Amino acid sequence: MTKQHPAWSPYDNNGGTCVAIAGADYCVTAADTRMSTGYSILSRDYSKIIKLADKCVMASSGFQADVKALQKLLAARHLIYQHQHNKQMSCPAMGQLLSNTLYYKRFFPYYSFNVLGGLDNEGKGCVYTYDAVGSYERVGYSSQGSGSTLIMPFLDNQLKSPSPLLLPAQDAVTPLSEAEAVDLVKTCFASATERDIYTASFFLFPPSLPLCDGIFGDKLEIVVLNKDGIHREYMELRKD
Amino acid sequence: MSNSAIDVPSRGGFSFDLCRRNDMLAKKGVNLPSFRKTGTTIVGLIFQDGVILGADTRATEGPIVCDKNCEKIHYMAPNIYCCGAGTAADTEAVTDMVSSQLQLHRYHTGRESRVVTALTLLKKHLFNYQGYVQAALVLGGVDCTGPHLHTIYPHGSTDTLPFATMGSGSLAAMAMFESKYKEGLTKDEGIQLVVDAICSGIFNDLGSGSNVDVCVITKGHKEYLRNHLLPNPRTFVNAKGYSFPKKTEVLLTKITPLRERVEVVEGGDAMEE
Amino acid sequence: MKLDTSGLESTSPFFGSGDELCPELSAAPSFALPLSTDFDEFQKDTKATLKHAKGTTTLAFIFKEGVMVAADSRASMGGYISSQSVKKIIEINPYMLGTMAGGAADCQFWHRNLGIKCRLHELANKRRISVTGASKLLANILYSYRGMGLSVGTMIAGWDETGPGLYYVDSEGGRLKGTRFSVGSGSPYAYGVLDSGYKFDMSIEEAAELARRAIYHATFRDAASGGVASVYYVGPNGWKKLSGDDVGELHYHYYPVTPSTVEQEMAEVAGA
Repeated sequence: MTKQHPAWSPYDNNGGTCVAIAGADYCVTAADTRMSTGYSILSRDYSKIIKLADKCVMASSGFQADVKALQKLLAARHLIYQHQHNKQMSCPAMGQLLSNTLYYKRFFPYYSFNVLGGLDNEGKGCVYTYDAVGSYERVGYSSQGSGSTLIMPFLDNQLKSPSPLLLPAQDAVTPLSEAEAVDLVKTCFASATERDIYTASFFLFPPSLPLCDGIFGDKLEIVVLNKDGIHREYMELRKD
Repeated sequence: MSNSAIDVPSRGGFSFDLCRRNDMLAKKGVNLPSFRKTGTTIVGLIFQDGVILGADTRATEGPIVCDKNCEKIHYMAPNIYCCGAGTAADTEAVTDMVSSQLQLHRYHTGRESRVVTALTLLKKHLFNYQGYVQAALVLGGVDCTGPHLHTIYPHGSTDTLPFATMGSGSLAAMAMFESKYKEGLTKDEGIQLVVDAICSGIFNDLGSGSNVDVCVITKGHKEYLRNHLLPNPRTFVNAKGYSFPKKTEVLLTKITPLRERVEVVEGGDAMEE
Repeated sequence: MKLDTSGLESTSPFFGSGDELCPELSAAPSFALPLSTDFDEFQKDTKATLKHAKGTTTLAFIFKEGVMVAADSRASMGGYISSQSVKKIIEINPYMLGTMAGGAADCQFWHRNLGIKCRLHELANKRRISVTGASKLLANILYSYRGMGLSVGTMIAGWDETGPGLYYVDSEGGRLKGTRFSVGSGSPYAYGVLDSGYKFDMSIEEAAELARRAIYHATFRDAASGGVASVYYVGPNGWKKLSGDDVGELHYHYYPVTPSTVEQEMAEVAGA
């Protein structure tokens, strides 16, 4: 039997990789800025990280249209929350809101893979990691998107701490300083993007090369949250 | 004749049983193993003294880069080279096979191979296999009749062109050729244009990447410029490096050497007639 | 298709009704459905790419002192282990626990929803909901979504006015009362240990050890189970987490490796 209708496929995958690491008093969230479809690059300068609240950012990869819809919905919800409570949402509250928002699309999911990074009420770094339909978990570090399977084992090796489920509980704080965590994130992307075609790896582009002068973008965007506030930095990315 | 049911040619003809079987298996949900494909940019052009071929060096398996610096310009004969795109195993096998046929032909005739000979051998093979040998080729060389450049498609059709591109980055590369190619390019201009075309593929096509290989063939001479340009070096290395502290637990350290069980006797008996 | 969204009513709307500016945001939340002609096919396609399916081992049993609940902590997507630290025992309220097998999001969401409903019941009736009642609330919700692709296999364990209670509830609408359950891909292995070691007359320590061993042996044989074996006990004073052990370390606890004095050597072949 042949199919009467072509399969209804409302999704595309626009690639990209996100990483977040929580520390004692900081949180590093990073993502590349390439957006692609199939073998083509749609944009070399598309930010995947959005600031949801003062102490809460979200990095998302997957299908850009769904990600955008999700970001707008969360922003609207957060605005209403601010009007009602006269304060910013905390990161754990935003974490639950994101979970519920994703689950309300359980039968028509948002094709987005998110990590939420921020500071909790005690000022400690927190990272929440999600699947597409809203199951979530607070973790010390996480990676999502096309390069996640390359990055995750490296983070496990460098940062793996005792499970929070252990009883008696063991201390499970990421031992890195903020600068070390940023360097670790840079290494993650440098390594993953050597091998994943959907993530642009970063390097300082030699401006003398032919053809390359005209290409801008393909960056790594790193957002650091700490007690001093929010701080963004960029690294030029590899273009192939 | 009653037994016309077995009315099949006794020999000759091609069997596509396995192709049909594979289609059936795929429909039933059996996944065939993934091949290493060279999502590729390969190009070639004719300049005033001969032919220049170019290729990127990325080989992919799905979204993963499995070789960052592979060779896609294959040797066919001393005066003929061939760029391959498609399934890596197929391009390599088919070019190796034809190159040895050409070598035998040279032994037989004592003359330099011609590009059309290589072209005919390749297209015959590919046509025989009806596109199942997934090789898309750019063939270039200089022989006694001058410089030649051909493209060969997986089904066996061929083109003869002054400039040609193939692979997933072919459109990006062709854009460069169409805007800048002219007849009678010098060697340096030709190399620059080939490099530009390959770079266009490397930067704009995700299936292509890493470095640029170039091969310049002129009458009686060739220059294989492996990694002519390296536009994508890794530059971020953490100055402090990383250590991997968790070691495997050592439970046993004793080493028992293998015993030699065969004793070699020096100066044994001579073999009998 | 008309969906029963009554399961969501306990989630209060953002503010009073009548906000005409953004009806989508202020209305009680509901499930968006795809505008597809073939819902089932679409569910099948999306399930393959998006869902966080879990290989799991969970178990619970009633014994003399109350209910013992235990689970592993691994989440996998195909062959990839996506997490080793999932909380598969969900704390619904201080007297009731739920376990998680099947879709992670489905279990997490509906257990949280059940927690809300149980609290509302408490506020309305000035008494805690019975385990029977709570499990029925969940089973009714899941039944109303039957055929839509939810994937839940859960045990509701708790202590109420009638003593210990244990129910098995699944997304096909099943609800069973029992004294001994195990759910998930590792359940056959867990049952093997559980059935052979189970007695009603056990101390809390014995029961905890039986639960831990069952989870350990399941994680040993089932590749989709692993991580940390958590053991909870529900008694007259509510639940308490008794232990959480990395199953890798449990292995060396159960089967210690001692540097052997007799070291293996290559055996000589006789008569060589």
